[in-house]
Amino acid sequence: MITLLNRELGLFLRPEDAGAPLEALPGWDSLLLFRLVAVLEEEAGRPLPVAEVVTAGSLAEIHALAVGL
Amino acid sequence: MVHALLSDWVPENLDDPELRPVLGRDWHRYQAMRHHHVRERFAASRLLLKHVAAQAIQAPPATVELAYKPGGRPYLRGCDQIDISLSHTEELLLVGITRRGWIGVDAELEDRSMLVSGIERQVCTPYERTMLSQVRESDRNQEMVRLWTLKEAYSKAIGQGMRFRFNEFGFGPSGHPVQVLRPDGSPGTGEEWAFGTCRVEGRYTASWALYDAGFGDTDDTRAGTMLDEGLVTALLHQPAEAPQPAAEATAATDVPLTGAGVAA
Repeated sequence: MITLLNRELGLFLRPEDAGAPLEALPGWDSLLLFRLVAVLEEEAGRPLPVAEVVTAGSLAEIHALAVGL
Repeated sequence: MVHALLSDWVPENLDDPELRPVLGRDWHRYQAMRHHHVRERFAASRLLLKHVAAQAIQAPPATVELAYKPGGRPYLRGCDQIDISLSHTEELLLVGITRRGWIGVDAELEDRSMLVSGIERQVCTPYERTMLSQVRESDRNQEMVRLWTLKEAYSKAIGQGMRFRFNEFGFGPSGHPVQVLRPDGSPGTGEEWAFGTCRVEGRYTASWALYDAGFGDTDDTRAGTMLDEGLVTALLHQPAEAPQPAAEATAATDVPLTGAGVAA
């Protein structure tokens, strides 16, 4: 997912950023969260539980929601 | 609403121990941040917020204690009559402060690309999508930035963050009185809410949402009169046997308000 985000959203995240709080990610903001949802929905071909995604604390948590864990 | 530039508020030394008493409860959160620019932004925004609040309550910045409600909404501990809000983007820091009720502020670069795949569906109500489709294409992104900052400001003011889905409430076209609208475009809020949008530093769009709780107005916002009476009583009348908290340094970083401007 980190590779996907860097490619689609123009970020420079590292694999170790996956577990970090979203607020601690360089360049992260709420608009990027919505863009992330759009990218993941397109990739997964199904809608994400947005209400849960917007309260997730890290990219790892969002990834778990995206893959349905 | 007060705005400032990030570069005017970034501490020279991000590891300066003098920052600890100023950041207070935010210190450990700050220490856990690994990226330099994230730490710069965090420290600068809290310094500005504390100095603005300190001006309002006429108290030293280091004595202003920030706390966070569930969901992350910041507030001034012990000063329930004053509400605050914070936003930062790129080089801009923005603080909202009021004694009237609740406030939320938000800012974005006015040319930030908003009309990207899938975003409108996530962010806009059906009414807003129709409205945007009628806006001249060259103006559409800027109109979307205005809507976005209003939504952010309102959601911050009500303390919901993004838990209140952005496509479940909206706003009308620019040039008209601003109020919250339901997804179908019918009115959602009344006169108790006021909204505004302005241009800041020549390249940012900043919006505010203000809820008038009917507290009335007062010119006296000094900490001595705005402090919550119950808290003061509890602090001043602690039982003798109660454990005393370790004394904390209260040295303030004497960062002047230079560079901060009143935007609205």
